[in-house]
Amino acid sequence: MDVFGRSNLLLRRSLGVIVLLCVTLIIVTACGIGGTTTAKNTGPIKIGISLSLSGDFAADGQAFQQGYQLWADKVNASGGLLGRQVTLDIVNDASSDTQVVTNYQKLITIDKCDLLFGPFSTKLTKPAAAIANRYGFALVEGAGGGPSVFTQGLNNVFDVSLPVANNLVSFTQLILSLPANERPQTAAYATQDDPFTQPQIDLAKQVLEQAGIKTVSYTVYPAETTDFTPIAQKLLSAKGDVVVLGTLLQDFTAFATAFKQQHYNPKAIVATAGPDQGDAFLKAIGGATSAEGIMVPNGWYAQQTTPGNQEMVQAFLKKYGGDISAISSDVPEGYSVGQVVQQAVTKVGSLDQAKLIQVLHNNTFTSVQGPVKFDNTGQNTAIQAFLFQWQGGKLLPVYPASSDPNFKTPEYPRPNWP
Amino acid sequence: MTDSMAKLLKVGSLLLLLVLALLFPFIAGNSTYVTIAIFAFGFAAAATGWNVFSGYTGYIALGHAAYYGIGGYTLAILCQHWHIAGGWIPFLLVPLAGLVAAVFSVPLGAIALRTRRHTFVVVTIATFFILQLMSYNLRGLTNGSSGIDFPLITDWGINIPGISFADFYVLPFYYVALALTLVALAVSWFVRNSKFGLGLLAIRDDEDRALGLGVRTGPSKLFAFVISAFFAGAAGALLSYYIGGVQPTFTFDALFDVAIALMVFFGGIGTLAGPILGALVLESVQKYSATVFTQGGGGVYLIIYGALFLVVVLLLPQGVIPSLSILWNKYVLRRIEPTDAAEDTSAGTPGAGPVGDRLPRVNEGASA
Amino acid sequence: MSLILDAVITGILTGGVYALMASGLTLVFGVMDIINIAQGALVILGAYLSFVLQQQFHLDLFLGLVITLPAMFILGVIIYVLFIRPLKHDRTMLSILVTFAIALIIEGVLTIVFHTNTRQIQSPYVTQSFQIGDFYLSYIYVFGFLLSAVLLGALYLLLYRTKFGQGLRASMQNRTAAELIGINVDRVSAYTFGIGVALAAAGGMAFGATTAFVPGSHYDLISRLLAIIVFAGMGSLGGALIAAEAMLIVENVTAVVWSPVWSSTVFFVLLVAILILRPQGLLGKLEGRKQ
Repeated sequence: MDVFGRSNLLLRRSLGVIVLLCVTLIIVTACGIGGTTTAKNTGPIKIGISLSLSGDFAADGQAFQQGYQLWADKVNASGGLLGRQVTLDIVNDASSDTQVVTNYQKLITIDKCDLLFGPFSTKLTKPAAAIANRYGFALVEGAGGGPSVFTQGLNNVFDVSLPVANNLVSFTQLILSLPANERPQTAAYATQDDPFTQPQIDLAKQVLEQAGIKTVSYTVYPAETTDFTPIAQKLLSAKGDVVVLGTLLQDFTAFATAFKQQHYNPKAIVATAGPDQGDAFLKAIGGATSAEGIMVPNGWYAQQTTPGNQEMVQAFLKKYGGDISAISSDVPEGYSVGQVVQQAVTKVGSLDQAKLIQVLHNNTFTSVQGPVKFDNTGQNTAIQAFLFQWQGGKLLPVYPASSDPNFKTPEYPRPNWP
Repeated sequence: MTDSMAKLLKVGSLLLLLVLALLFPFIAGNSTYVTIAIFAFGFAAAATGWNVFSGYTGYIALGHAAYYGIGGYTLAILCQHWHIAGGWIPFLLVPLAGLVAAVFSVPLGAIALRTRRHTFVVVTIATFFILQLMSYNLRGLTNGSSGIDFPLITDWGINIPGISFADFYVLPFYYVALALTLVALAVSWFVRNSKFGLGLLAIRDDEDRALGLGVRTGPSKLFAFVISAFFAGAAGALLSYYIGGVQPTFTFDALFDVAIALMVFFGGIGTLAGPILGALVLESVQKYSATVFTQGGGGVYLIIYGALFLVVVLLLPQGVIPSLSILWNKYVLRRIEPTDAAEDTSAGTPGAGPVGDRLPRVNEGASA
Repeated sequence: MSLILDAVITGILTGGVYALMASGLTLVFGVMDIINIAQGALVILGAYLSFVLQQQFHLDLFLGLVITLPAMFILGVIIYVLFIRPLKHDRTMLSILVTFAIALIIEGVLTIVFHTNTRQIQSPYVTQSFQIGDFYLSYIYVFGFLLSAVLLGALYLLLYRTKFGQGLRASMQNRTAAELIGINVDRVSAYTFGIGVALAAAGGMAFGATTAFVPGSHYDLISRLLAIIVFAGMGSLGGALIAAEAMLIVENVTAVVWSPVWSSTVFFVLLVAILILRPQGLLGKLEGRKQ
């Protein structure tokens, strides 16, 4: 009996190994069975995309998905790409870098996608671009505009949107165009510590300082900040004539609320992002009267007469409902990615990635956001930055002046908080 | 069943496992599965290291993301400052990155270990936040929120016909991750079978009594803590190199700790194979399911993930391996005569009696 | 100088709200020896409930608490019965896992219902403000602080002036002995958990009115709340109040005199320093051997 007991004990002690073995076997077989789709030259063209459908970037990721989907719908309705229909293979990366790495690997090697579109945010575009590069794929994206994406030395990443650092240039031009007696004397800056926002603020600050506008406050705060009161107080006590904010929607809302509470009325408030989020912005800030006069730079507006824009806006309203202000700026960014790829692929005449990369580098394209011409790092040098302002519940382009009837005169100074 | 047969079964299984692990990239035949395996083994190494401290001593540390981050940043900064080209050399520096993390853990561990239980948990969380903030704020060294990129690997210097550069790319990372896990497992096994390890287990059962019995509790705990920091750091260096860069939010990731702790608890805390099992299962399931359950803005995924944990914790409260082990015991006991059962129980595992009213302490359940 | 004064004043007022959120956490820990990682998610849930009542039914924020507090109390009792009570062994550690899982589920449900768009509770209290010196203060800060004071006061009375409170304190001091003298520790635990969750709802209303939030906001929140209760000494209510005030004042002052990027660092360094000198926290009792 002792023998039985001992061997039972031994067996029990090796249970861990056995369980591990079984699990490994299951995993290995699962891998073996797992998808081995082979690439086909007929049938639909598969476009691989990883988007942040959950996690920190979820709101933007979901809006981006709308942009990509609208483009795909349109292409398929008008005969497809190279005569083939397109399907979007969208996987969720939960705003995580390890997941985005896994996802693009999967899109390329398991799903055998023919084309790749970019994820959301500078942070996730960096690792995604490196994998695409390894497999020789072009990665065309609309939301990875931070300078650090383009310093990796990759030749396969293309950002159809406005280069991030230049975003606020139109705002500085507006300020400098004001007659001397109206021009602000001082400016206060606050920015999230983030590769998307901070470069924009630093460039704007440099330009305005050179023009003699004194910096009375400059604050960098962590992206995870929850209590914005002290930062708002700092801005407030500096009493800058204009306030330049490197924010996303959440922190912009916090600042706006604090300014409102403090009856602080700078002559101009401009933010890198947040006010461009359409309905989401209006809801967060508490209605159109609060939004009045707030500015945001952007490469796109709903009334724009760029190629395909009206079609996209109408399709959006039909598919997702709401009105024009429901369209987040992520939508045209995603849509533009599709447009640029479509033109390039048509030009190549096949899905050859090496040729596609070459064509993308050497040609000019059109998009709902305006013209697209990539420099050798992959940034769009042709697109123009517009300054937008909320006026009467609508986000309207105000600068640089244009013959376009949609352009309004900038409200400067902005009205006081309601 | 005889003694030698059981032994044979164990050794055979172990060998088979090793062979399977070594051949996995070729069996799987796809670099995506290898990518998931790289993350799984990276986490398995970190989880095994974590278990050497938290599993054996019972002190739950939730700040090892700090050492993961230090490892990643160390390797990135070294590559940048020494102008190391992408390729094999950074792999050689992975142990060095782990060592730097271990050096950091000496003072930080010494401070944290002045406290006990829950306070200890929170002090480790606090050290994590301090270090994450440093990675943002010490811009000269860390390049702030933009982070640092690793040198791009364009050529491994090896060409195997039939395997493309991109498919070969994952192999070095896979085998280094596997090697790291095996080293961690060896260390864990060695600690467990040493006097030092016995001291750690005594600390978990009753620290004051252990001290009374002559265990040098302070240095023992600190040494185990440093070992665990080393593996977290080495895993951080390796996985960051694979991802291609370090950034404060990702490389110092608060969820890393939760992930590690869940893996160890899932597999069985204090066991040898548990952390590895937990890492392999959870990392694969998570990586796979996140891509599949995209409904409701990822909300469905969160609910399923959360519910799965509730089920595991409530039904298998000691982790998969110990719980299965207890079930196995009960099964055997029911098959042999009651008198033998009593004999077996008293000789083998105290507590796992036929009544099963008091479950054995976590680590006594099983070990590989 | 006035900037520092402003920072201190808002620090005191928001500190009260944090004390309220942390009190639920520390109370539950004191009685049951478990750390409720879901407290942060429950605060966010409370914020969304207040948001909905205000937005959809135009209910006054404070009146809305008449609905949310009992609802969240019941939710707390349900969570206790379903998920905490079944934990028989290694309760402290397993409770961390279980409550973390609950936090994920709450986050998932909120994500499905409200999406991940940023929300902030809008109300006249939030936008209207009054002047002190050259500085305006929104009513919500003052009312939020008063709410915290009232609820913490009520909690004090409950603990020290009622029979239930006696039972609760007895359970905190010695579970086994409390059972021996005929206290139904299980029922006390269930009610305590309910109270802790209800406090989270109240804190959530004040938090959501002063801070923009998304379903994922609970991760940052819980780490701050944990820091507060450890600083305070786990299980100490008075300590939680002091620690919450200290945290918010230190962070606010650091943000204005130095930089916001160093605020949390300064607080965490202070926390570690205190714990080196007093491992049991400010007002905590030294932990003896737990049997």
